[in-house]
Amino acid sequence: MRSAAKTRSDVMSITARLGLRAVREGQPVATMQGSLTPLAVLGPQADDERQRIRSQFESGVGARETVAALCQLADSNIRQVFGEVLRVHNTPSDGLCLLALGGYGRRLLFPYSDLDILFLFGNEKAEQSFRPLIADFARTLWDLGFRVSSAGRTLEECKRIEEDNVEFHLALLDRRFLSGDSELFEKLDIRVLPSSEKQARPFMLAQLHKLTKDRLTRYGNTIFHLEPNVKEAPGGLRDYQAAVWLRQVAGGERGIQGSSAAEEELASGAVDFLSAIRCFLHYSNARNDNTLTYELQSAAADRSLGISDGVPRDAAEWMRLYFRHARTLNRQLLRYLEHKTITPRSLRQRIFSAARAARMEPSNGKPFAVRDGMFELLDQHALSDRAVTFQLFTEAASTGIPLSRRTERSLAYIMKHPEIPAHNVEITWPVLRAILGADYPGVALRPIQRLGLLTEILPEFARIDSLVVRDFYHRYTVDEHTLRTIEHLQELAEPPDSRGAHFQTLWKSVDRRDLLIFSLLLHDIGKGMAVENHVAGSLEALDTAARRLLLSEDEAAEVHFLIEHHLDMSATVQRRDIFDPSTISAFANMVGNQERLQRLCLLTYADIHAVNPEALTPWKADMLWQLFVATSNHFSRTLDRDRLHAHDELSLLEQIRAHIPNIGTEEIERFLEGFPRRYLAVHSAAEIAAHLTLSRELASEPVQTELHTTAHTFSLTLITADRPALFATIAGVLAGWGMNIIKADAFGNAAGVVLDTFHFVDLHRTLELNPTEIGRFRQSLADVVNGKAPLEPLLKDRDLASRARPPKVAIDTRTNFDDTSSEHSTLLEIVAQDRPGLLYDIGSTLARLGCNIEVALIDTEGQKVIDVFYLTEQGNKLSAHKQEILRRALQGKLE
Amino acid sequence: MMKLEAIIQPSRFESVKDALREAGIEGMTVTEVRGHGRQKGHTEVYRGREYTVDLLPKVKLEMVLPDKLVNTVVDTILKTAKTGKIGDGKIFLSRVEEAIRIRNEERGENAL
Repeated sequence: MRSAAKTRSDVMSITARLGLRAVREGQPVATMQGSLTPLAVLGPQADDERQRIRSQFESGVGARETVAALCQLADSNIRQVFGEVLRVHNTPSDGLCLLALGGYGRRLLFPYSDLDILFLFGNEKAEQSFRPLIADFARTLWDLGFRVSSAGRTLEECKRIEEDNVEFHLALLDRRFLSGDSELFEKLDIRVLPSSEKQARPFMLAQLHKLTKDRLTRYGNTIFHLEPNVKEAPGGLRDYQAAVWLRQVAGGERGIQGSSAAEEELASGAVDFLSAIRCFLHYSNARNDNTLTYELQSAAADRSLGISDGVPRDAAEWMRLYFRHARTLNRQLLRYLEHKTITPRSLRQRIFSAARAARMEPSNGKPFAVRDGMFELLDQHALSDRAVTFQLFTEAASTGIPLSRRTERSLAYIMKHPEIPAHNVEITWPVLRAILGADYPGVALRPIQRLGLLTEILPEFARIDSLVVRDFYHRYTVDEHTLRTIEHLQELAEPPDSRGAHFQTLWKSVDRRDLLIFSLLLHDIGKGMAVENHVAGSLEALDTAARRLLLSEDEAAEVHFLIEHHLDMSATVQRRDIFDPSTISAFANMVGNQERLQRLCLLTYADIHAVNPEALTPWKADMLWQLFVATSNHFSRTLDRDRLHAHDELSLLEQIRAHIPNIGTEEIERFLEGFPRRYLAVHSAAEIAAHLTLSRELASEPVQTELHTTAHTFSLTLITADRPALFATIAGVLAGWGMNIIKADAFGNAAGVVLDTFHFVDLHRTLELNPTEIGRFRQSLADVVNGKAPLEPLLKDRDLASRARPPKVAIDTRTNFDDTSSEHSTLLEIVAQDRPGLLYDIGSTLARLGCNIEVALIDTEGQKVIDVFYLTEQGNKLSAHKQEILRRALQGKLE
Repeated sequence: MMKLEAIIQPSRFESVKDALREAGIEGMTVTEVRGHGRQKGHTEVYRGREYTVDLLPKVKLEMVLPDKLVNTVVDTILKTAKTGKIGDGKIFLSRVEEAIRIRNEERGENAL
């Protein structure tokens, strides 16, 4: 591409080259060669006209009129200067014509925009001979205050598609004749371009898709920037133009087709609003700068820019209007982008494509199904039932398959039309939980928010809708930041870069993911409230939301903790020495338990990450991980360090007493005394009261059990007096019944009461399919633990079945002993391949070698088990010799 | 003019920054860095996996100072960055020949 000169030149040298002489302002422009200079007259005239247009804009004339007037001014000056230059060079315009391209071609010229001009030559000879004339023309325009961005092509060159310069071909789509050889223009416009454009259509379309997607990615694929660029950022004027081009290149007419009249009107209003801002920015900055800075947001809001209702608004409210318009343009573009790029296809490809199009994944009776990797509607009317709509969102959240734009549009249509009354509009916590707790909650929450359903479920969220909070750290509005936190977490399924690598494991294994995501949705709501500390506001919002959605007391308490402390882990990383054990100890005390630590760590990771793309540096991610690991290890290595002294726990005693009528404080104290502190951290007061109630029955029945089921797992609590090999026996019974233990802990109090909790999966669905078996299962457990029935027959049949299955992922076995972390016990950490009956094998080996389990923490991560046992032998730590014997014995069992 | 480079504990950064501001120092370059001196790293085990933390996180401050301010700044950093433990970091000073402000080509201490 060749550009004409556009450096500002000395006025006198131009007048000299043109053979002109200076005249006084107001004198008539001469029409003969060698007479009056046009600069001295045209310059002030152009300036006056520019000033007039600006004054009109500032007094309320719309942007549409302003850019058209600026275009007219440029047109008339170009034609006049071109005529003068031709005259001075004493040449006719045959073989040369001037075309306006791009925005200027569309008659949209913003105050400080470049004039995109194409010099079209009949042939190369003409190009050579007109070169000096063009240089003079461009310089003169420059001196008149027009920013010319020009290119030159011969007619022949315009037939070829320049694959490395698709922007030029896009600009050429908006060509307009300005001056010169009109026959030459007609040849280009009628004979040359239509056929070459048709031929290049697939290439152009693919390139346009790529350019647009690259641009959107450059701006983080969001409209919600705190200081948006009103031209280039998503939702900016470029989005509208890209949509027009996509339609145009795809073979349709100019102007957006396929949108409803209402959508057209919205888009037109959005273009007017954004154009007004762009004019305002150009005038305010005195240059082609399209960034809507904080200062200019306030200035624009002060003058109610782009709004005709005359209602005064503050900057935040005015920016909400901006985002509403930006959202309109961005949605329209995304709908066009969703259409597949047209590429020439062979007959074979066409046949296969037709077969694929006809094939949809089965809908199983649902009113939606997956086509081309997106959810499409089969029955639009079914979606007036909100239960069905949320079933669709739940599937999107579970599978990660997004809704197509068409589906989203249909939903929007149904929601906006009162003649289609909605049923089952009340969304309950279990429904919301299913979405929040899924693997891809962000895939559902995005459309839920775009459709306005999020504020139906969580009216508190309206407080941060499109909210700009001015700081120089965050890049996005508060609602956008919030949704990004959730998307950064779901990305951890396959982390896009090394920063997420460590946190992937945490995301996959985090307990109560729904509460974590719910905390993220609410954590910054306070920023939209008139409170001094936004955390207090967010907690206030939680209170109302939790009451309305009927969260349980424990669930609300957990979310409360996460919101209240959502800045603390980040603050600890940045302001405390995380290699100092006292820092870790204090932080661990604040957090309380491993499960909560995992949630807080993920929340912190997501919160920093969503501030701006650079906020989570690898350095910070590493620091956060190190704090997590140190705290996690602190939990598992200090379990028996802090034992409960019940008389210090006045508040807890009160809470437990509230759950059990007529119980004395002493009895509660006796039960609690000596349990590890973790016992309090992982059980609520209500659960502890239930345990205590069970323990009161031990005199009549020495083994007390309680069994709960959740979505996919069972949870067994067993309370009994301590006895040899107890843990191994329980694990053995569970293995015998075909249960796979995924998590467990075992605690004992000072009175010798043992409380073991096992979370297990019923591999053969025995209990689920045969509810009557539950009673038999509990009885079998009690009988074996009591010694009334032997364990071996139960295990015999299972043994062969379980060993037959080869593991999917090979896990290296590791056994580590640690004598330093606990004052009283030796810690044994085992990492091994999971298999049914493993815990029984470990437990029975420990029992056989005379090791007493003081505390046990059993966890599973996929096919890997991570077990920590606090062991003693006759009240003491294990000797080095005993550790070696145990290591060998376990090695034999585990490999 | 002297160039000062200080490697400090991340946890002391906010305090050092505030103290320097109070001492009248406004311009500095801050970098998140990793490294080790005598304070070698350690190995951490989490769920059976070993993580070697051999390069420890630090913050590097860089500033060029007029000679008259050098002692004040060094004292301020020493006072606020010191915890007395291994790993507190180091301060390096070196002579700077010239400083030029790009905007207006001012030179010497006026450019600082």
